[in-house]
Amino acid sequence: MSIRLELRRSQVEALAAAANTRLSGHRLDIDLNGLRAALEADTRLSRVRLDLVHPGERCRIGRVFDVVAPRAKLDGSDFPGVLGPVARAGDGVTLALDGVSIVLTDQQAENAGMLAVIDMAGPTAALSTFGRTQNVVLSAWPASGMGRAEYLAAVRLAGLKTAVHLAQAAREAEPDAVEVFELPSPARVPAELGHMPRVAYVFQVHSHQRPTGVDEGILYGDPVRRMVPTILHPNEILDGAVLRGFMGRNATTWAIQNHPVIRALYAEHGRTLWFAGVVVTVAHATEPERVRSAFMAAELVAHALGADGALLTKIGGGAPHVDMAQAAAQCEALGVKTTLIVEDMSTDGSAEGMLLFDFPGMDALVNVGSGQHRLSFPAMERVVGADDLAAKLGGEMNATYGTLCGAIEQIGATHVMAVVE
Amino acid sequence: MKSLRVVCYLNQFFGQLGGEDKAGVGPQAVKGAVGPARAVEQALGGAGTVVATVRCGDNYVAEQTDKAVAELLALVAAERPDLVIAGPAFLAGRYGVACGALCAAVQAKLGIPAVTGMHGENPGVDLYRRQVYIVETGAEAGRMLAEVGRLVALGLKLVRGEPLGTPAVEGYFARGMTRHIVAERNAAERAVAMLSAKLAGRPFASEVPLPDFPRIPAPRLLKTLEGATIALVTDGGLVPQGNPDGIEPLNATRYGAYSIEGKAGLDAGQYDNVHRGYDTTYVKQDPHRLVPVDVARELEEQGAIGKLHETVYSTTGVATTLAHSARMGREIAEKLRQAGVDAVILTST
Repeated sequence: MSIRLELRRSQVEALAAAANTRLSGHRLDIDLNGLRAALEADTRLSRVRLDLVHPGERCRIGRVFDVVAPRAKLDGSDFPGVLGPVARAGDGVTLALDGVSIVLTDQQAENAGMLAVIDMAGPTAALSTFGRTQNVVLSAWPASGMGRAEYLAAVRLAGLKTAVHLAQAAREAEPDAVEVFELPSPARVPAELGHMPRVAYVFQVHSHQRPTGVDEGILYGDPVRRMVPTILHPNEILDGAVLRGFMGRNATTWAIQNHPVIRALYAEHGRTLWFAGVVVTVAHATEPERVRSAFMAAELVAHALGADGALLTKIGGGAPHVDMAQAAAQCEALGVKTTLIVEDMSTDGSAEGMLLFDFPGMDALVNVGSGQHRLSFPAMERVVGADDLAAKLGGEMNATYGTLCGAIEQIGATHVMAVVE
Repeated sequence: MKSLRVVCYLNQFFGQLGGEDKAGVGPQAVKGAVGPARAVEQALGGAGTVVATVRCGDNYVAEQTDKAVAELLALVAAERPDLVIAGPAFLAGRYGVACGALCAAVQAKLGIPAVTGMHGENPGVDLYRRQVYIVETGAEAGRMLAEVGRLVALGLKLVRGEPLGTPAVEGYFARGMTRHIVAERNAAERAVAMLSAKLAGRPFASEVPLPDFPRIPAPRLLKTLEGATIALVTDGGLVPQGNPDGIEPLNATRYGAYSIEGKAGLDAGQYDNVHRGYDTTYVKQDPHRLVPVDVARELEEQGAIGKLHETVYSTTGVATTLAHSARMGREIAEKLRQAGVDAVILTST
């Protein structure tokens, strides 16, 4: 029996505060008071604030930590291992709201310059997915004495609870679209489609440049410390089994929930290729772990999934970039052709600095642009999510693409790319 | 749109002063268009006017480039141009270098666009392609009107701030610099298409140029270790407490030289680590995990190595530009060689 995910999508075009949370046509009413009270029950948080912002408003969301898409299981465990009990994700019916995002802010980071912003109007809004969605901005403040990891875990959990609360409003709604994701086990290919090239996806889910905390659940709630490569069904990833860690460089949970590589491979599956499955990996901090991970990932791709080709992505900075390339080099050594999605790593805009590796066979590279390229941000009328920085954040800013959440997604959801000229 | 003021630059030959016998003539400006500048005027159509032609002898620029460029720049600035068109210089080497130098100076000092044109083998291309838009031309001035037309078209786009196509489309030498565009398909869709092409053996274009780093063979140690002086160098971010040299946590441009004279090892209390690319917890606990002074001293005492060099060099190797990495490497290597060091243990992270 194969795993089958049915995504019931409802389009949201307006948000409004109301006495009850419900979906009326394309308008989502939200019981902000009730939701806030429920979120404030977490003793790690002292206070929660919810703001609604809309595309076209001259508004900048500051201190952005992560973005989550509203999802709820019709039956079953939501975000298993982190919010709900551990259970298999990827099967059954999931409710999804399109056109609305939950933006989580970080009120604790002292160096707020490391965090991102989202603009709701102007050219910077057009560059980010989240400048074009209705946004529920969730800001929470830590209870006294809360450490960094506990605080971030609480903020993320509040975001996931909100995602479920909102998506449950679509329980009785007639969906605007129904998508079905169904992939048989890697060994079962219909004979008439056996000629298609088999393609696997190697998904690096975290980099241990910054080790995860005990509350930093990434894979079914596991903080993926010392994780060796393992095989997942792509539906598990689309359905909440994998969350982004707390180090959020050009990657959001939203992008993982709408995983662009998995979607692109599904789109071609059975037409031009056979989607052989997903191997999840982490980037490691030490050389033996890195080498072990690279050859085990390649082994799973080549011999467990029997893939002819593999697509690889990374999350994080320079070390994960090289980890990904080492895994790809091992794939190529086993005869598996590879394509990598890389961020342009140059820090001076020179083409010669774009890559941090030089392995044979790695000749098919797609890029998502550079987080370090300069970007001008226009002045806004209102700042949300960063009251303490409103004066500074409201004006014109000369910053970088990496400052704009949703402009660059390392797993390939975005359209910005660097060209050499 | 207002009519643009354009200044052209020509050498003595194209500027109608004469041949090699006039190559020493100094900078001068004449009103209006002279020689190929008339082709510029024609290509501009109604968009602008060549207000002046600045000209100078090739040898005058070649023999005193800085002074000549400063003088030429003053003549150009006096015309308050919106755009400068230099050359084209075709395969003429001295002329090409002068065009490149002037265009670079015009952009940097006057803040206006400047365009030149050359043949691919003109030495001016390698010297200035990173700073200046250089349109690819033939070796000789056979198709002047058409080639000047391409310089002018590119120049007009730059003046108007219009987006440029790729070097292949616009006809200029790739500058080796990156620029962001917004692609029609997302990166994941492009990657699946690229992988499908690679699997099917169809042609595909990588979006990142493949690296072309020179391979540097490790030199052979010409003496035994027992007689050699060994230095410790790291890009793992070791610094004395307080980071006295201000070494950047990433994107480093600096390195430090730290004495270990009289030290049997590194005292954790005296050192810090500013590297932002890896988990430095364990190195902060014990700096020897990064820079093994303790073991090296033991080897020195046992006579297994001749001598441990008394200076440790350190920087942070994270997001460091290739240009700075190469410079710091050269400088450190030169200092080590002058100090008589025979070999280096380079610890990276």
